[in-house]
Amino acid sequence: MRQAELTAQKDYWAKSACKMCIHSCAIRVHVVDGVVVKIEGDPDNENNKGKLCPKGQAGIMRLYDPNRVKTPLKRTNPQKGIGVDPKWQAISWEEAYDITAKRLKKIRDEDPRKLLVSINDFHRIHIWGWGAAFGSANYFSTVGQYCGAAYHPINGTLDGSFACTNDYEYCNYWIQIGGGDGFSSHLHVAGSIKRMAEARVNRGMKVVVVEPRMSTGGAKADEWIPVLPGTDRAFVLGMVNVLLHELNIYDAEFIKKHTNGPYLVGPDGNLVRDPETKKALVWDAGSDSPKAFDDESIQEYAIEGNYTVNGVKCRPSFQVIKDTLKDHTPERMSKICTIPAETIRRIAREYGEAARIGSTIVIDGKEYPYRPAGVNYYRGAIGHVDGGLDSLAMKLINLIIGNIDVPGGHIGVGLDHRCLIVEPGADGMIKPQPHLLHPPYDYANNPYSFQLMEWFPIGIDPGHLSADNILNPEKHGFDFKPEALIIEHSNPMWNLSATDKVMEVFKRLDFIVAIDVVLNESTEWADIVFPDHTYLESHLLVDIEPPVITGHVYRRPVIEPLYDSRDATDILTELAARIGFLEQWNGLLNFTVFLKPEYYLQPDKKYTNLELTDRMAKSIYGPDHGLDWFQENGHTVRHQTLEEMYMPYREHRIPIYFNFFKETGDDLQAKMKAAGRKWDTSSYLPIPVWRDSHPLHNLPSEYDLYAFAFKETLINFSESNSVPWISEAMENIPMHMGVMINTKTAKAKGIKNGDTIRIQSPFGEVTGRASVVEEIHPGCIALSNGISRWSNHPIPKKSNTHFNRLLPADVKWTDGMTGHLETSTKVKIFKI
Amino acid sequence: MHLGMVIDLKRCVGCQACTIACKSENGTPPEVLFTKVLEQVAGEYPIVKKKFIPVLCNHCEDAPCVRVCPTGATTKREDGIVLVDHKKCIGCRACYVACPYKNRIFLKRGSLKNGYFGKQLTPFEKVKYPKWQEGVVLKCTFCVERVDQGLDPSCVQTCPADARIFGDLSDPGSKVSRLIRQRGGFQPLSEDNTEPSVYYIE
Amino acid sequence: MAKTTPLVGNEFVSGFRLQTEWATLIAAAFFFGKIGSGLFIMSLFTHSWVGALVGLLIVLIGKGGAHLLYLGRPERFWRGLTKPGTSWVARGFWAMMIMMVSGTLFLIFPAGSTANSVFAFIAGLSAFVVAIYDGFLMNSSPSIPLWNTAMMPVLCLFYSLLGGTTLSLFLIEFGFVQVAIETVFLSNMEIVLLLTNLIIMVLYLLSMTNATAAAKESLRLLIRGTFALPFFVLALGIGLIFTLLMSYFVGVHGGAGVVGLITAADLVGHYFLFYLLLRVGVYKPVLGQLTM
Repeated sequence: MRQAELTAQKDYWAKSACKMCIHSCAIRVHVVDGVVVKIEGDPDNENNKGKLCPKGQAGIMRLYDPNRVKTPLKRTNPQKGIGVDPKWQAISWEEAYDITAKRLKKIRDEDPRKLLVSINDFHRIHIWGWGAAFGSANYFSTVGQYCGAAYHPINGTLDGSFACTNDYEYCNYWIQIGGGDGFSSHLHVAGSIKRMAEARVNRGMKVVVVEPRMSTGGAKADEWIPVLPGTDRAFVLGMVNVLLHELNIYDAEFIKKHTNGPYLVGPDGNLVRDPETKKALVWDAGSDSPKAFDDESIQEYAIEGNYTVNGVKCRPSFQVIKDTLKDHTPERMSKICTIPAETIRRIAREYGEAARIGSTIVIDGKEYPYRPAGVNYYRGAIGHVDGGLDSLAMKLINLIIGNIDVPGGHIGVGLDHRCLIVEPGADGMIKPQPHLLHPPYDYANNPYSFQLMEWFPIGIDPGHLSADNILNPEKHGFDFKPEALIIEHSNPMWNLSATDKVMEVFKRLDFIVAIDVVLNESTEWADIVFPDHTYLESHLLVDIEPPVITGHVYRRPVIEPLYDSRDATDILTELAARIGFLEQWNGLLNFTVFLKPEYYLQPDKKYTNLELTDRMAKSIYGPDHGLDWFQENGHTVRHQTLEEMYMPYREHRIPIYFNFFKETGDDLQAKMKAAGRKWDTSSYLPIPVWRDSHPLHNLPSEYDLYAFAFKETLINFSESNSVPWISEAMENIPMHMGVMINTKTAKAKGIKNGDTIRIQSPFGEVTGRASVVEEIHPGCIALSNGISRWSNHPIPKKSNTHFNRLLPADVKWTDGMTGHLETSTKVKIFKI
Repeated sequence: MHLGMVIDLKRCVGCQACTIACKSENGTPPEVLFTKVLEQVAGEYPIVKKKFIPVLCNHCEDAPCVRVCPTGATTKREDGIVLVDHKKCIGCRACYVACPYKNRIFLKRGSLKNGYFGKQLTPFEKVKYPKWQEGVVLKCTFCVERVDQGLDPSCVQTCPADARIFGDLSDPGSKVSRLIRQRGGFQPLSEDNTEPSVYYIE
Repeated sequence: MAKTTPLVGNEFVSGFRLQTEWATLIAAAFFFGKIGSGLFIMSLFTHSWVGALVGLLIVLIGKGGAHLLYLGRPERFWRGLTKPGTSWVARGFWAMMIMMVSGTLFLIFPAGSTANSVFAFIAGLSAFVVAIYDGFLMNSSPSIPLWNTAMMPVLCLFYSLLGGTTLSLFLIEFGFVQVAIETVFLSNMEIVLLLTNLIIMVLYLLSMTNATAAAKESLRLLIRGTFALPFFVLALGIGLIFTLLMSYFVGVHGGAGVVGLITAADLVGHYFLFYLLLRVGVYKPVLGQLTM
């Protein structure tokens, strides 16, 4: 039904897409006399099958929040600070555009690098490059990178995926490390909770959760294994050691056939190549000779043994992995992660046996390997210095039982409707895809982005580095200063670490412009604010990180916009036009909106969001599937086909030995040396190992407790606790209202439940109320995001318990390989 | 027809989707929650267990609230749903102390003057609040308007884990009856002889 | 924390929960109802017209007023008469109505007449119901184990008799009434009732020490927790011990001041005992206690 026809009715249900988190469940919204009275999940959609999480239900209170930005605003109070009243003045769109465009044009003409960019609307990934089109490579936020920097590039390198999950439909033994998949958070919560419940209750799938705190998953799991923050890799490598060296359980056939396990590796860690063809060599055990990897005469790929090729000693990479991890014994790993050695052994055995190596399954007439065991993980496991190695370890434990993208096992999840990006790469491998979110930055001797993205060739923007580089430009030789900041659907002051430094940056900025629905800690500092539509008032085709399904949900306005707001895409287009880079902007959109050449945008024409959506629909789904089609049919969501989900890499090999990382690191090191710059590339390793040099575990012993932040379903991602229904429920849940401390730890420090405590890390300090509980590892404390807000918005309780204050933000505390910031720290606490 | 609900404690993940869906469906004012999910923790680290327990009005067959209500405002329908006629309720709150589950909520004076954003009622609240009156006792109605249209209550409809199942307890072939048989359903506080229509399975 | 069942407020945590609706006004209503009907009944025995009138007024204004103030919709109070078949609230309301009407008629008709005797009987019976019905009301549901005991109406009955006796003595001492029986008899009755109530109360609480968990939690709150101070000082100390000692060792011989003091102490203790019993009413956790 057409939009005008829809909203003209008195009583109707409109289908649309939720936006209360970064994923997009399909919803249906009941409108009576123009008032939204209910939001439910759309039962006709394969994504969430009619289910909707608490946040989705609470969207009504976001729509009708009287504190929304209703018109363009101009700040009249020159003073900026916490709790300060900006004294907003409502202005016209023309004035807002004029002021902003003039100011930013001036910057662009002088030096576009002076613009800081914080555009993190996860449903509108197509606009993230607005800053790049403007000419600024800066990224001033930690959004996707607080959880994803050490996650996504490794996923992409393994199998062209962006995220990952285990196979809800066939898995029997699911180990979950540091993430809430299927219980409280991450990919498509409503649908994932449903699938996880089906698997556990109908199929009896066993779940083991490894986490320092008993999260929802920990509570539901068959076994909760407490672990110290930042040591999950030790646990996993201990398991790998047991499988490879004690139990001899590994999928030799999978490794031989589908990975670079057989590829010979020399003493320098690089692949051994034929001197003429440069092809990677393997050892043919049948003929007892080295051959090129694609030689058709190979009878039997060797994955173990020691060989000599052209006088060079070498081993198949799988042998190198075995040898390297030989000293990662359960006893040694246990000392690091505090999980008992016998538990490491037992879980490894259960996992290895559950994997049923060698078995197959027939689905819809097609035969696949059947490996119903997997390890899934997310931020808690990998959000650390050496996070890239954490991710590698998580992949390795899956790789050795041969469960990558097979029924029951560890399944790659695409960023969008394209699912996994499988392209041929070098040496018969798939092409690594570490840059699915945006293209890589070219290396440069002198930095041109405050987050130093040019020095993280396989990373994701380390936005947390920006503040330090802005305040101390001489460290890395920055010859430009930021003057302005544009914020769209982001909260950098809150989401970045080293909060005081970030605030100092904000103070030094001349001009801050924001586009959003409600104001937050960051946008209260803005000079100009543009009102965006809420998700219930806007158009978009959305398909973000879908596990199991693919296809777009169509978001459409369910009512006419309440206020004088406009779509953020349109606002940015207008600004681009006035500032003078419409051509670059349209060029970017051609790419980010997936347009086919016949629908490419003319460089000098402004296109509305509606027009873009229509062209995108036609480009992806065909000329008769434009906006008209979506207005009638609502979505193109369907279950992934077997080909999309299982072994899409079939014609290529996937890495088990990640030489790509090593080669990238070596290349970077060479460039840095040539530039005369010291840069630590020691974490660019092809095999995950435990490194005792980890700075988190080497902090002075006076900081005796680990600390980290957490969320649960109600406050997943963002858009949460300024919504009153959500905050009301959350405030009734004790773990969100205090700092979780183990009973014994509290007793030893003379702290009782409800006491106010001071929490000091080497980098910052906060205060909070103690919540003394049993369900947390005695070696750490946990701070919910529920008590971390301080904005002027009347709903969230203001509190000085913002975890990010305790975190540092510099290169030392950043994962060298991926740019992930260290998301845990160590603290000392005492009663006030 | 005996309408009832089964709550599958193995499925529930304590997400509170039901809590908020109920609030959205009914438009209840602040602090009024017809259903919610409680947590329960036992043990000593590292041997700890945590359970999530959704609670709501049990629409008891032998409801103490129906018995004790002096005005007949609280009654039980043929199909088992226990309802409060707000026009008859005098707000004596005898039902509140009689309900063993503490599921009855008194809407005190002034409750409907404020919405979630203070004195400014949102358009949503302006539509929903006229359903209620101050000075009377409210509770879960099993979403009686939805049930009368053949739909499930809101909490059941939205639960991502499908942890709430609604149906006819008097029909041995219904899903609720089968679940109670197969998984050993038990009533909350069954020793209080209230004969709840809500069963839990583990 | 995880070893015992916690006492929770509105948080989403399973545990013992206090009832929070019945407090000051309901305690007052029950209090006035008991002492008013107790006085009325005693006045029937002491043949005191003024005492009976005062008793009726205490019930009408004190109990009736407190109830009206408490109701969420007081303008509909008459609906409370609808269901005496199942509801102790309605029954109590009927009893109160009957007591008012028949009591008034009793006062109007001259002493000795048949009408007077008939109405005296009806009024006395309904006053008896008014005196104890709140005990039956609190007992009528297993929801709050502390109240779900046969001791509750017994406690109500004896407290109402005590209240009636105390008030009778007060009215006599201050010259408001003339009675047909010896003051000494009343004053001995008072001592006996004080002692009886003390014993009943102790027995009641003792019986709760071996009762179910929620009742024990109520008991804990009453004698060791947040409400221990007012319980021991006001309900027990002033209400029973002080009054008992004063009545035994001094009694009416002490004069108007002492009698006034004893009356005040008794009434204060009476009010607070039932107020506190209301306040420490604890519900059971819905799915019991999780243990490892």
